[in-house]
Amino acid sequence: MIDSHHGWNASFKPQFIGFVISFMLIVAAYRIVVHYELTEGLLIATICILGFLQALAQLVFFLHLGLESKPHWGLITFLFTALVAIIVIGGSLWIMNNLNYNLMPKMEH
Amino acid sequence: MKKSVPVAHESYPDTHHDNYSRTTFGFWLYIMSDFILFGALFAAYIVLSKSTFGGPAAKTLFKLPYNFLQTCIFLVSALTAGLGGASAHRKDKNKTLLFFAATFLLGVIFIGMQFNEFHRFSSGGNGWDQSAFLSAYFTLVGTHSIHVLFGLLWIIVLLLPVWNETGISHVSVRRLTCLRMFWQFLNIIWMLIFSFVYLMGAK
Repeated sequence: MIDSHHGWNASFKPQFIGFVISFMLIVAAYRIVVHYELTEGLLIATICILGFLQALAQLVFFLHLGLESKPHWGLITFLFTALVAIIVIGGSLWIMNNLNYNLMPKMEH
Repeated sequence: MKKSVPVAHESYPDTHHDNYSRTTFGFWLYIMSDFILFGALFAAYIVLSKSTFGGPAAKTLFKLPYNFLQTCIFLVSALTAGLGGASAHRKDKNKTLLFFAATFLLGVIFIGMQFNEFHRFSSGGNGWDQSAFLSAYFTLVGTHSIHVLFGLLWIIVLLLPVWNETGISHVSVRRLTCLRMFWQFLNIIWMLIFSFVYLMGAK
């Protein structure tokens, strides 16, 4: 984000590195899903891991996360937001699965 | 490569730099709030993605190669946006205009493909009002599309003054940096949509 020390704002190189990493990750995810028969658990795990790496690579190389100077407000606010997102998404899935389980025991989920 | 061009704020005291970092930080906070918005939409989609109400499931609706091509196009546009932002910092006006124009064109292709897909779904009787799954799908992907549309509008609005001014002013560099951050944030969201909506739904 704000990276006067690293000179990344004016540099082409991190953009290309980020592009190559992210392209390889997305091709890998696509090929794994299309060409291999995965069980559902394995599929979810693969997509989650590759998606996480994808987001991380783009946050660092494209958005320059964590490269700003000392107080690191960008990184701190990001971590807080990630925490909120995890609570929102994880909490929703948890509570809705429980609801399905408790209210509709005969339905196949 | 990175030392060859002097960075603008090195030549005199800090006022512009301070202003710049404050603006980009404020914009970063906006991006973080958008992140939570998309997080909520993702949660809704994942919860509702199996509730097809007797209609076709994600598996039969999605055409993965089409969406993969779309993903590649958007990823290249994120690269050109990044290169455009870096060119603005180098005060290289021609490259800035060139890269952001490329971003604009790729963005138009992307959004065209997206609307084409929406049209394919709804003309096949699978509009947003057919099932909880489709409502959640159209809300999540549609929200992303609206962001991209505003991004395209924003590119035009920003490039016109850059085109008209001599060189690139500090103000323009600051604005273009915010635009670059916005566009690359949208690309991250799209990558997550491609992974968790399209790839996950294809099985």
